[in-house]
Amino acid sequence: MTLFFFLMSILYGILKFLHINFVPFTYAGYPIGLWIAYLIVAVVEVLLVFIIAMIVVVILVYVFRKYMADVQNRIGPNRVGKWGTLQLIADVFKLIQKQDITPKTADRIAFRVAPYIVFTPVVLGFMVIPFGNVSILNLMVVNFNYTILFLVAFMTVAPVGEIIGGLSSHNKFSLYGALRSAAQDMAYEVPMLISLISVVILAGSYSAVDIVRAQHLIPFVIPEILGFIVFFLAMIARQSIPPFDLPESGSELVSGFSTEYSGMRYGIFYMANFGFMALASFVIAVMYFGGWEGPVFPGTVWLIIKGAIFMIIFLLVWVSLGRVRVDQLLNLGWKYLLPISIVNLLISSALAIYLTGVF
Amino acid sequence: MEEKVIEVNFGPQHPSTHGVLRIKVKLDGEIIVDAQPIIGYLHRNAEKLSEMGTYPKALIYMDRLDYVAAMNMELGYVLAVENLMDVQVPERAQWIRMLVVELNRIASHLVWLGTHGLDMGMLTPFFYCWRERERILRIFDEITGSRLLYNYMSIGGVYSDVTPKALEMIKEWESDFVDKLNEIGSIFQKSYIYVARTKGVGKLSRDDIISYGVTGPMQRASGMKRDVRKDTPYLFYDRVNFEVPVREEGDVYARFLVRMEEMRQSAKIVSQVIEKMPEGEFYNKKYSKPMLVRLKANGESYVPTESPKGEFGIYIIGDGSSIPYRVRIRSPSFANLSSVPTMLKGYKIADLTASISSIDPVFGEVDR
Repeated sequence: MTLFFFLMSILYGILKFLHINFVPFTYAGYPIGLWIAYLIVAVVEVLLVFIIAMIVVVILVYVFRKYMADVQNRIGPNRVGKWGTLQLIADVFKLIQKQDITPKTADRIAFRVAPYIVFTPVVLGFMVIPFGNVSILNLMVVNFNYTILFLVAFMTVAPVGEIIGGLSSHNKFSLYGALRSAAQDMAYEVPMLISLISVVILAGSYSAVDIVRAQHLIPFVIPEILGFIVFFLAMIARQSIPPFDLPESGSELVSGFSTEYSGMRYGIFYMANFGFMALASFVIAVMYFGGWEGPVFPGTVWLIIKGAIFMIIFLLVWVSLGRVRVDQLLNLGWKYLLPISIVNLLISSALAIYLTGVF
Repeated sequence: MEEKVIEVNFGPQHPSTHGVLRIKVKLDGEIIVDAQPIIGYLHRNAEKLSEMGTYPKALIYMDRLDYVAAMNMELGYVLAVENLMDVQVPERAQWIRMLVVELNRIASHLVWLGTHGLDMGMLTPFFYCWRERERILRIFDEITGSRLLYNYMSIGGVYSDVTPKALEMIKEWESDFVDKLNEIGSIFQKSYIYVARTKGVGKLSRDDIISYGVTGPMQRASGMKRDVRKDTPYLFYDRVNFEVPVREEGDVYARFLVRMEEMRQSAKIVSQVIEKMPEGEFYNKKYSKPMLVRLKANGESYVPTESPKGEFGIYIIGDGSSIPYRVRIRSPSFANLSSVPTMLKGYKIADLTASISSIDPVFGEVDR
């Protein structure tokens, strides 16, 4: 934020210096030139976040492949680039070259738009992650008081894209994938929201920065251990990785909602999945493990370490577990996660009331 | 409200049908109302082709029936022909046959275990199973010169002797195979998700088993203690010590346990065979290679054998010429597959893959 106003005032100064009278148009008390400058800076920052998110995805996919290969007695990618590091880049080029097939009977517009509906919120989600707290610059693209609401919105929009993609493909397997995706979203999103609300109650703020600051003494995972478990399982379900990979269960529904997708559109689903894995890891680190708080190292390093640990845990879950059945997942969501998260909400409310009563 | 039933075709191109099975499934939501297996996509005319050449020529078609357990298929054919012609087989050849057949049974079950894991959404055990199978294939490579389709057994013996190097490899393999198998098995058995998904799924009762003619591990998992190796011993199965695992539940989990135990018992047989194998001829000198094409037979014969999938046998009629008049293949997977509608009705889509893979169908054998 400081950076925006710094740049904006420079631009305003330049305009004044050149005697360009741009002032008559004002909005909300600021001259229009400032708003344009703000817009430019915002676009640049969003692009930066996009690039950062993509770099995280590239690293994550490489680590995932190597790690999975190591678990499974394989070598993993080792041909493209040094130690196979450029394999994903090569794969992306291959996918771009492929023909982008839209089935004749598909709903064309919905079919083409669906991958972006899945992908965009993931990138936008990175905007509201506080990556550190340096004195001049808040390493956070957008810092305002309702970050958590935005985060929740971004995290829950993506399944809509999966449902649209599945329904518009005009394929029975895709249809089943979409229906499963819908059922699964219902089952995990309600407990996920309730456990997030508990964090907000405990921190007394919707702002991610405030939530991290509130964890200065003890991370929220200690008072909110139940909420953390619920949120962690919900994050696994949201990413559709085993054991909760029902919407795209490879052995039953061919490839679920993404059966008819080919070329880069399929690649976008794939990248969105890994992007969300990184996002979910950072969100868990911010919500329950104190974000950038930590001794010795700078805050950004701490957040990345914490995020990386959760990514590794997600990968470990991925390679070692089988798939649950759809009724078992719904049972888990409605019969166990929902009551647990409500209990957690009560505990944290009581805790919050107790703490405010003391102070 | 009228019920809305969707008809979905699983296969023939589908990742979890183990080849080219097509199942017409009627679905009410996630629940299977009706399932109809449709076969014939890998039909290669093995029976008719076998009736067009001399007796030893048919052997290569037998390899290609159940291509993950080619030795067992060859054995079934060779035993039937030898029974038809009253061929004497040297003792060492019979022990060698037992050795390779049991090794191949383990390899086949390992393929099943890996793909079963894939069907349940577990990627990792697949690679462990393939690693263990690879060691068995290397042994076969040393003994027979090929890895998958061997063409190894001949009428009157086998085509090549088991070398000391191969014996060394087998000894090294069996020294730690059971440990590794237990390790792989623990990935399944200790996983709460796997057990919850397979217990009580794909149930077949004793009556179903009898009415469909289901044999092999599926039969033994439903509480019928029947193993051709024990009941009507061929080769020297009466001289080795092994047990027939039986479970009462009749579900997918029981079949998993039965197959795991069978692999351990086969490893036990292999180690006994290595101890008991005598020196001597590995084929009957009267039936050397040039002689084989001139073999003539009259009459009919059927010898049941226990293949990894169930009771496998070949019914041969000879009309006095050097070409068999009729070769009929009794393939276990075909009979086992007929139990699919009973197994699936009322279960969920996810149980479909579990149940199908618990049959362990190989379509070279189903379609013949």
